[in-house]
Amino acid sequence: MTNVADATPVSSEVKPPARTSFRSLLAQTEVDLRLFGMLVALAAILLTFNVLSGGTFFRPTNMVTLAVQATGVAIIATGMVMVIVSRNIDLSVGSVVGVVAMTYALLMTDWMPNVLGMGVDFPFRWVIALGLGVGLGAAIGALQGFIIAYVGVPSFIVTLGGLLSIRGVVWYLSSGAAVSGLDDSFQLIGGGAQGSIGGTATWILGIVACLPIIALLISGRRQRRRYGFPVRPVWAEALLGVIGCGAVLGLAAFANANLWPQGLANRYAAEHGIPIPAGGLHISTGLPYPIILLVGVTLVMTWMATRRRFGRYVYAYGGNPDAAELAGINTRWTILKTYVLMGVLCALAAAIAAARLNGSTLDVGSGYELYVIAAAVVGGTSFAGGIGTIPGAVLGAFVMQSLAYGLSFMGVNSPGQNVVAGIVLILAVGFDSFNRRRGS
Amino acid sequence: MTVAQPTRLVEMRDINVAFGGVHAVRDVTIDLYAGEVVGLVGGNGAGKSTLMRVLSGAHPADSGEILIDGTKVSITNPRDAKALKIETIYQTLALADNVDAPANLFLGRELTSLGMLDDSAMEDATRKVMGRLNPNFTRFKAAVRSLSGGQRQAVAIARAVHFNARILIMDEPTAALGPAETAQVRDLIRQLKLEGIGIFLISHDIHDVFDLSDRISVMYHGRLVGTVKKSEVTSDDVLAMIIMGKAPEEVTERDLAALHR
Amino acid sequence: MLIRKLAAITAVAAIALAACTSQSPGASTAASVAASVAASAGAPCTVGVSWNNFQQPRWAAHDEPNLKSTVEAGGGKYISADANLSSEQQLTDVDTLISKGANVLVLLAQDNKAILPALKKAKDAGIPVIAYDRLIEDPSILYLTFDNVLVGKAEATAILTKVPKGNYVLITGDPGDPNASTFLPQGWDQAGLKDKVASGDIVLLNGPKGTATDAWKTEKAQANMEAIIDKAVADGKKIDAILAENDSTALGVVAALTAKSYGFPPLSGQDGDPANLNNVALGKQYVDVFKNANELGKAAGAAALALCNGTAMADLKLPAGLLDPTVAPAAGLSAQDFTTPNGTVVKSFILQPTPLTADTLQTAIDAKQISKADLCKGVDPASAPAACK
Repeated sequence: MTNVADATPVSSEVKPPARTSFRSLLAQTEVDLRLFGMLVALAAILLTFNVLSGGTFFRPTNMVTLAVQATGVAIIATGMVMVIVSRNIDLSVGSVVGVVAMTYALLMTDWMPNVLGMGVDFPFRWVIALGLGVGLGAAIGALQGFIIAYVGVPSFIVTLGGLLSIRGVVWYLSSGAAVSGLDDSFQLIGGGAQGSIGGTATWILGIVACLPIIALLISGRRQRRRYGFPVRPVWAEALLGVIGCGAVLGLAAFANANLWPQGLANRYAAEHGIPIPAGGLHISTGLPYPIILLVGVTLVMTWMATRRRFGRYVYAYGGNPDAAELAGINTRWTILKTYVLMGVLCALAAAIAAARLNGSTLDVGSGYELYVIAAAVVGGTSFAGGIGTIPGAVLGAFVMQSLAYGLSFMGVNSPGQNVVAGIVLILAVGFDSFNRRRGS
Repeated sequence: MTVAQPTRLVEMRDINVAFGGVHAVRDVTIDLYAGEVVGLVGGNGAGKSTLMRVLSGAHPADSGEILIDGTKVSITNPRDAKALKIETIYQTLALADNVDAPANLFLGRELTSLGMLDDSAMEDATRKVMGRLNPNFTRFKAAVRSLSGGQRQAVAIARAVHFNARILIMDEPTAALGPAETAQVRDLIRQLKLEGIGIFLISHDIHDVFDLSDRISVMYHGRLVGTVKKSEVTSDDVLAMIIMGKAPEEVTERDLAALHR
Repeated sequence: MLIRKLAAITAVAAIALAACTSQSPGASTAASVAASVAASAGAPCTVGVSWNNFQQPRWAAHDEPNLKSTVEAGGGKYISADANLSSEQQLTDVDTLISKGANVLVLLAQDNKAILPALKKAKDAGIPVIAYDRLIEDPSILYLTFDNVLVGKAEATAILTKVPKGNYVLITGDPGDPNASTFLPQGWDQAGLKDKVASGDIVLLNGPKGTATDAWKTEKAQANMEAIIDKAVADGKKIDAILAENDSTALGVVAALTAKSYGFPPLSGQDGDPANLNNVALGKQYVDVFKNANELGKAAGAAALALCNGTAMADLKLPAGLLDPTVAPAAGLSAQDFTTPNGTVVKSFILQPTPLTADTLQTAIDAKQISKADLCKGVDPASAPAACK
């Protein structure tokens, strides 16, 4: 709990106040109030669209589509938090996504079969392609990070240059045309009915994910007991456990309520000689791979930000660069690492984008920088540095995407979506700074 | 001049630092014994902070040498200094405002278990050391931004205490504090001195310096004017050194008269 | 984004053309092709061509070889220069071409204003100028390009013939581009979309204006289409056909249909992009309207030779049999008046775009728009279109 997202964090020592308000009960659970507020806002947005659409919006299929659409931006936003927290910016993410996506497409359609001698039947082509793409992303990140941290060129300039020049490279790589035709296995990364793990696996994953939540709560409590620190009330611990597991299993149930399209199910039945029941064949899609990837990235990034020295240094540097330097932290190396991380995350997002398109076009990723920065900022990341959380940024991405998807669902054009997104961005940040001023 | 003690804890010899054309520190030689407080005084831009930044590794010297326990050492960055048990409390406090007290105390030297930050162990250690320095302090999970000036100073000092500093550099430790907090810090300095820690105390408050120091080194425009034993001088002597840049024996009656006019 | 810029200009051309349709197309014979070519062979003719940017593959692959071979077949000499995206370089290039003895200039202008000093030099030297694919605002030029309203018309005609009744989805391009918001939809309406909507044969699922796609981004079209499919499914409606304005949006639509395992209702597009032509062969896109740049090159070559021979602009006539009849100007082979957006009247040849469906994909291979291997990648031999057999 060191990376405090709020200027007035909840002290563990506060005795339960006499007047029991909802806010004080919430405080005892030590839940981040800001994150809680964002969840409420997200729910409000979804419910509003559901009412406006006459109840057709809030369906599992639609929610899964929305979530898959948000994954690319959300994955990059987790890294953008680290970059902005350490008082830098990365404007090049969209172009990095573009060049890596094009690389995946060219690898599988041209370079692997024609240059590397790995034909379509070569084993684990998708893993090799993904590995090369991630390596390319990391290399681009390392180069930009080196120029920023060691040469001392401002990140805004370096990544603005990256934005322009890397997009140009996409053009040269592709000779100006879209490339399509990825391996079937690679396309699974993009989700869809086939790119999901299925009903049974989703339940197993849900239950397996539930165990560490409980284990973490128990070990955390034990740890604090061991040192004689104040602990949360038992009811709060239990509530957190129930909410955590409930949320995980609820999501699993929700994902499983998303069924294969009838045509696909029937085709599958015909191919496998399964009789189609009277009400139609219901096959659960379960969780799509891109969402599992996003959850994994969020967990790993949160772990890095809060449980690793690297994360601590990023936040400390953002809070006071001089203090971090004087404390003997290798600040340049830390900054360089944030950009390498960004490159890797861009490569993962590029895999999702390319898999979803079954190829790559010249403009894949263009504009991502703005969506990603917006997601991080709506999620509570401050440009002043030192403040921001990874789950917040992921939620921010979901808030922005639910607006875009919902408006699209309601038949509002892209320009209309942009108008709303822009207003929400300003409102969110305005509300935040109002709260901070009041809080301090 | 020197106290009869076996070895000097710190000896800085002929230190020179220049920023571009400005010669901030010029041929300064200064020393410190265990359990001793040496006050470092001088006007603005006299070079005291720069001299101490050399010792803390924040800025390398252009020439000169540093000896710890009589052995020549090389200090090129803050990590080197910390390895030699030299801790610094900066004028600007040098705390990361957005993280909590344990994170600041262990910044750069975090406790880990299995490669992960061990926040509970760090909080425990912080509770122990803060218990000694400021028993009323309870806000271990609050960002230090929200702490009072005295509490923040306590966190900065706790860092030095926890890591068993042998040499402590304090740059204006009471500048941002109220009277009660200032008294607290003074008590703390006396306590640390008793524990055998050598302290360089930079201050522009001549009363602070006279109250706490054993010896006083005066700097003037980058030069060392001289080092005097507190017991052998008056505050007027020291003031004259600060303002005129002359050693006590060089100061004339006319100088003193001018000083008091 | 040349195509979009062009489209704005060409759309106006179409309006001008519509005014000229009273003129009957001149009947030509193969003999006149030979005659015109033979006539030019008598006089030495140097055709100077200034390309703005050879890095874009289209010019080097399609326009230049056809222009060059037509000029050389007529006994002329072809000289050229590439300005590499620089307006300044292009001015120097034109100087060089003139000093090398060009009798006719063909200009693909990098910037239609910055080129004016070069045009003045040509006029001073008495050299006729052909504005190739990009308009130059000056009454003295001959303008050669494709008709963009006809692109929209060709898209909609193909889809409406295939699906005369049912639920349609309209995916338009960047709302700031007049081509997307005005001219292509005009073409759709000319093909009968408006009337069929009015009569109730066709229901538009996503509003009368469809869904716009900022910057024609494939990913944006994909995200929008996914929402439209979700909405249609939620409302219990079936999507019968999709009109997408161009290939990059059509590619996004195909990706959305794939992700949703929706099947592939007839879908339009334009540009003849290789990935989309492959989708046509795979049965994922019904029609791809493309502009056969080879024919534009041939037309420019023939017009240049005629101008060289001293034919007045007003009397220009493309040799019959030179162009593919489906591409030849709808208004006939004689030069037509064209009123520019600024009100200048110039002579012009406005060529027709070519709709490609699975049945006519061979045209794309013949036009070297795509190799057979790329076109037929992943195509099941059992259900392959003729071009892939």
